[in-house]
Amino acid sequence: MRQTALQTVFELAKQDSRVVFVGSDLGAGTLKEMREELPNQFFMEGISEQYLVGFVAGLAKEGFIPFVNTIANFFTRRAFEQIAMDIALHNLPVRLLASGGGMVYAPLGPTHTAVDDFALMTSVPKLRVFSPGDANEMRELLVYSLNDPQPWYVRFGKGGEPIFSPSHQLEPNKPKLFGDPRAKILFLTTGILIHEVLEAVEELRGTSSFPVSALHFPELTNLEFESWKESYQFARKVIVAEEHIPHGGLFTKVLHSVHAQNLDTKKLVQSSLPFAYLHNYGSQKDHLIAHGLDAIGLAKLARTD
Amino acid sequence: MDDLNRHTKALEVGLSPDSVRLRKRLLEITKNTGRGHIGPALSIIEIVDVLYRHVMVNLEDTQSKGWSERDRFLLSKGHGCLGLYIVLEDLGLLDGLDLSNFCSYESNFGGHPESSTVPVIEFSTGSLGHGMPVAVGLAVAAKLKKESWRVFVVVGDGELNEGSNWEAAAHACKHNLDNLVVIVDYNNMQASGEISDVLEMHPLKDKWEAFGFETIEVNGHDREELKQALNTKKSTGSPLCIIAYTVKGKGIKKAENSSVWHHKAKISAEEIDSLILDLRT
Repeated sequence: MRQTALQTVFELAKQDSRVVFVGSDLGAGTLKEMREELPNQFFMEGISEQYLVGFVAGLAKEGFIPFVNTIANFFTRRAFEQIAMDIALHNLPVRLLASGGGMVYAPLGPTHTAVDDFALMTSVPKLRVFSPGDANEMRELLVYSLNDPQPWYVRFGKGGEPIFSPSHQLEPNKPKLFGDPRAKILFLTTGILIHEVLEAVEELRGTSSFPVSALHFPELTNLEFESWKESYQFARKVIVAEEHIPHGGLFTKVLHSVHAQNLDTKKLVQSSLPFAYLHNYGSQKDHLIAHGLDAIGLAKLARTD
Repeated sequence: MDDLNRHTKALEVGLSPDSVRLRKRLLEITKNTGRGHIGPALSIIEIVDVLYRHVMVNLEDTQSKGWSERDRFLLSKGHGCLGLYIVLEDLGLLDGLDLSNFCSYESNFGGHPESSTVPVIEFSTGSLGHGMPVAVGLAVAAKLKKESWRVFVVVGDGELNEGSNWEAAAHACKHNLDNLVVIVDYNNMQASGEISDVLEMHPLKDKWEAFGFETIEVNGHDREELKQALNTKKSTGSPLCIIAYTVKGKGIKKAENSSVWHHKAKISAEEIDSLILDLRT
């Protein structure tokens, strides 16, 4: 996903001189070709994220479209104030490309696992928050971003995940339904967790008599509730699965949407990471399994009354 | 000349009629709320006034063709905004916005400057340590666009406690930004007292030079010295830092070098009137 994103930035930069790439000590090989071909649109700055975000705000103020990449937490925690005040308050078209969303960096411990990024970033007015599920969606979103005047935060899920979304989507940010709109069990999810959810849906379809569907939300800023309201109303159980702490993410957004419509919230079931600093290491998958966010755990949750 | 002598000179230098007039207006404005960062505003008046009146170019009209070629100004120590507002008003750059209702609910002018409510303000500031990184971005943008405008940013000496300034200083030199001018309002005071009592910044000149800045020291209330330093055109590739020795509360005896006047609340209209009467050239 990251490789696709960076390559897309390079392609966009070739077409549009307003596009610049800015990294924070990302390693010698990062976008080597772009560095050589478009040196004026490539910046590799030091390990100084507060400066980095202010710096790109200055570039954006002068008409550039900076795509900025570093590890998710170093944006959301280290440079939160710069994101809120320098970028969002001024509504500048900066794209924050956040590597290692969720438990991607599980082996590196709680300093590097970005499990609260949705909560932090969705609290910032004007900032649009995205969590694409595969490389196709990532690419389409970044192309789409070129004509959007608002600032963006984009969570990178992991690398090498299968492709589930069709390319050339007309509206890459809209919720995507997988299955019957009138299903008894409805999964709601975002980011790379869609792969575990779709596997769970397959498993349930093979073993259950009731229809099961899934909705993927590439964007968390606006859930477009009207477009799936009927599915929500029809479902007996709605499971919200996310690689995030229990509050401030997709579940919170869903709850607000449903509550605003005065609909039944009792059918909502939450599956998330705990509200804690996780001191186990292992892989991203290990953590999904441990917290019931893998396909087996999610299918089991769907069967539980 | 050592720091103490320079600060003594800054205290001793007299005020021009323009400087007195601007200070009177500043005090009048605070009548509305009875509060404000008066001390930090009084220390930057000559810096801002000389910049806007004698140094920066293409500021006449936000709608004009030349506006995109204007020099950019950022008040990183946003709490000194009264010092900026009165200069902008004096030069007729506020597009008719009413400054006399400063800090009231409907006012365009808050206790920190906002570009969304006052179009001539380049960038909203308030939380310290934000101006320099943004200024570096602006200066790099000018280079990329091959445009000749300069970027001026005023930072407070207390503000230099924030590490983001030094991150930006290192990058400004990396990018050879000879179109960037950092002005340090060195009034030697911060909210809790003297700089040295909170976090010693001395030797300030050595610090900036170690990063790679060309550094000039001036009396921050001496208009001629400021004019000369701010008009320094650079072509050596290094950014410029002007350390302006100033006095917090300059021009009002009871406020000078007083941390009480950093942010003064509950000032009565009568007290403000008596301060205005005390102002002398």
